[in-house]
Amino acid sequence: MTRRGRRLFLVVAVALVSSAHVGSPDTYFEGTAGPYPVRVIVRSPGVVPGLAQITVRLLGSHAARRVLVLPVFWDPKTAAPPPPDVADPVPGDPAVFSASLWLMREGAYSVQVTVEGARGSGSTLVPVTAVATQRLDLRAPLGILLAGLGVLLFAGAVTLVWAAARESVLDPGATPTRRDVRRARFATAGGTLLLALALLGGWAWWNAVDAAHRTGLFRPLHATTTMRTAGENQGLWLAIDDPAWLDPRRQRAPLIPDHGHLMHLFLVRDSGLAAFAHLHPVPRSTAMFVTTPPPLPPGRYRVYADIVQESGFTQTLVSTTEITTTRTPWRAADVDDSWVVEQGTGDERRGTSADVSPLGDGSTMTWRRRAGPIVVDHDARLTFAVAAPNGTPAILEPYMGMAGHLVLTRDDGAVFVHLHPAGTISLAAQEAFELRQPGDTVPGTLAKRLEEREQQRNGPHSAHHAPMAPGGSVSFPYSFPRAGSYRIWVQVKREGRVLTGVFDVSVQDAER
Amino acid sequence: MAVTAAAYVDGAPRTAPAPYYLVASAFAAVSVVVGVIWDISWHRSIGRDTFWTPAHMAIYLGGVVAGASCGWLVLRTTFSPAAGQATPGVSFWGFRGPFGAWVCIWGALAMITSAPLDNWWHTAYGLDVQVLSPPHTVLALGIFGIQFGALLLALAEQNRASAPDRARAYGVLVACLAGVVIQNASILGLEQIGFANAARMSLYYKVGAAVFTTALVAAGRAAQIRWAATTAAAAYMAISLIMIWVLQLFPATPKLAPVFNPISHMVAPPFPLLLVIPAVVIDVLLRRAGSVGDWRLAVLTGLGFLAAFVVTQWFFADFLLSPHARNFFFGVDQWDYSSRVGAWRYKFWRIDADPATPRGFAWAALIAVLSARVGLWCGTWMARIKR
Repeated sequence: MTRRGRRLFLVVAVALVSSAHVGSPDTYFEGTAGPYPVRVIVRSPGVVPGLAQITVRLLGSHAARRVLVLPVFWDPKTAAPPPPDVADPVPGDPAVFSASLWLMREGAYSVQVTVEGARGSGSTLVPVTAVATQRLDLRAPLGILLAGLGVLLFAGAVTLVWAAARESVLDPGATPTRRDVRRARFATAGGTLLLALALLGGWAWWNAVDAAHRTGLFRPLHATTTMRTAGENQGLWLAIDDPAWLDPRRQRAPLIPDHGHLMHLFLVRDSGLAAFAHLHPVPRSTAMFVTTPPPLPPGRYRVYADIVQESGFTQTLVSTTEITTTRTPWRAADVDDSWVVEQGTGDERRGTSADVSPLGDGSTMTWRRRAGPIVVDHDARLTFAVAAPNGTPAILEPYMGMAGHLVLTRDDGAVFVHLHPAGTISLAAQEAFELRQPGDTVPGTLAKRLEEREQQRNGPHSAHHAPMAPGGSVSFPYSFPRAGSYRIWVQVKREGRVLTGVFDVSVQDAER
Repeated sequence: MAVTAAAYVDGAPRTAPAPYYLVASAFAAVSVVVGVIWDISWHRSIGRDTFWTPAHMAIYLGGVVAGASCGWLVLRTTFSPAAGQATPGVSFWGFRGPFGAWVCIWGALAMITSAPLDNWWHTAYGLDVQVLSPPHTVLALGIFGIQFGALLLALAEQNRASAPDRARAYGVLVACLAGVVIQNASILGLEQIGFANAARMSLYYKVGAAVFTTALVAAGRAAQIRWAATTAAAAYMAISLIMIWVLQLFPATPKLAPVFNPISHMVAPPFPLLLVIPAVVIDVLLRRAGSVGDWRLAVLTGLGFLAAFVVTQWFFADFLLSPHARNFFFGVDQWDYSSRVGAWRYKFWRIDADPATPRGFAWAALIAVLSARVGLWCGTWMARIKR
């Protein structure tokens, strides 16, 4: 297998064990719970049922008396939710509270976070996707311990059979006769055989559970992307060709728009990550989406497509495609489509750590890095400032309702994340959780209400207008899940034009 | 479970305390079974648990008490000549100790082994995805080891006792501990024979024949008292009834979604099977027909048990599903917080898929006879254990 082939294989293989986003199962949210600004992190357990860990940090100056958390799995027939859990204050930091979340079923949860303090009580909903994403290896120390105990138990059981047959019925002080010993040998041989068979049965049972767990690991819906360059149906087509999606007998929640689009599709050039596009295909059916790709350099591209279902379940479809030629002049299929191609090869750029990225209109984007290395699972708040060509802070406009969009991927594709200043959550999922009602038992009922709400707004892209930070800056809460080399694309809007800054970063393991 | 045995010396009654290890292991056996019933109720009422729930503590306490007391006994009988003479034992890897003590120690070790395995299992495959999982099976084997070990210790004391009264006192303990083992078996078969709603299914009678005939026949033959099987069945029922009456006194709130049935108190376990009635049949048959040979006796006791069991449970299940049983005493009509309560509570389940037919009863009869034969074989061995 060639190096490129190996890399592409890895992209698809990793996607098989990832949930919404790719290789980044934890949830990061930054917003407000009533009057209290909060940052919420939910660490995924990787298995379902499992215990997720939630951390709530109060970002404002007001202290909280109590923080309550409650994971709710939507079921219209649910009689009552259980009482919320009181999060424990983390010693040494009065602004941080933590608790365990019991996620018992696969699917979309809304975690209700309530802060009680001097300014009253305030709540927010944090969408969390509960799926099994990992298979835990049995590490050597525990494996050795269990094997040792297992050997001890087996040998002990064999000896029990021996002792039972040889001596247990003898009078006190009597010694076993030859007959007793012969009988004990016979019983021990039979017992050992039975115990060995039982052990083999247990081993087979364990393997069966493990195989079932592997089979049940979350896989995003299968998608195929094709580039059609001739005929009437020219364009980039993405087909959701997964039986789970196409089977008419299965009731599935329909897609709902996120930032006004049913699908956010990202193209990342496999070679050097040197070209990137953020597109919004339009649906031709419930399973077919099409867009016009921008004039990207020909080559193989990784395809990531974010979708949200009415249930609040979010996922990233993963595919690859070969871009050959594109129609020129290019006309964007959607006004929010954007793309960037770096000059030179991506490999030339990789390895540098430039904190300043030139933007398409002459302005610049600066990454305000914190001092020190970026470490796995440590807060790596990603803050960027945009300066106009004259050096003054740029005035940014909302891009699809957000102050900015950030997309990052590890060079091998093992991690792919689409972030907003609100974090990794889907705002459409959050809105779905806010709007749902006990009567929403028929698929499509809530989606219709969401659509009506969308239409009532002033324009399609004011859906989730986030407050714009002053000074042309935009910030994203995140922690990198794995070590390695990452490329980051930061997208903002200035004077009606979408601008994309490109950065590279090396993330270190925590042990270093 | 404090036990004293009456002995008569020179015509005057004297109370000799039971050995400490027997008291400790009997206490451990009861503590574990109480903990298991409590834990099941905890999962049906509250939903979530931690390592430190009182139900878990009762189970671990049983393991610790049995393991420690029997471990100490083995050290004493191995290294102290006087203790070794007073308490005969079997050889085991260079040590000596009563056979029942070794079974208890093995059970405690199995329980210890299950703890890290279960913890890893939850992290790897999810929290209690299946109740019957490999680590839970290791734990169940450990629990069974402790209960069976305690029973073996009591049997050895009974079989060595020279005074009839003392042997009878230990015989009562043997029967009671057999009741604990029967209770444990009924917990494992909770899904098949726990609920009266299953009493029109063929499986109900097959499982009942397989599980209880062996235990009751073995107890009937091994315990040196007149109504041994009946006493064992009564002990099984007493444990269930006490747990039913105590558990539902305690308030409880479900803490896991979804909550379809907002209960306010701990959910009681199902009402026990009326095993005393088939046990009386077994006791009578063992006494009246004990000399016909074990295969013939197995046919008699197996069929006798099944006939009494079917008649009793068939009609008693009707009563348990009626409004007359929905009260504190019987404790029925209490369902998990996660149950969507409906008319199914008062109906017989799966009567279409697995109806109780003559063919099903014929299979149950065959199982009962074979089970009784195994019970006779076990009972014979148990009646001879002296170490």
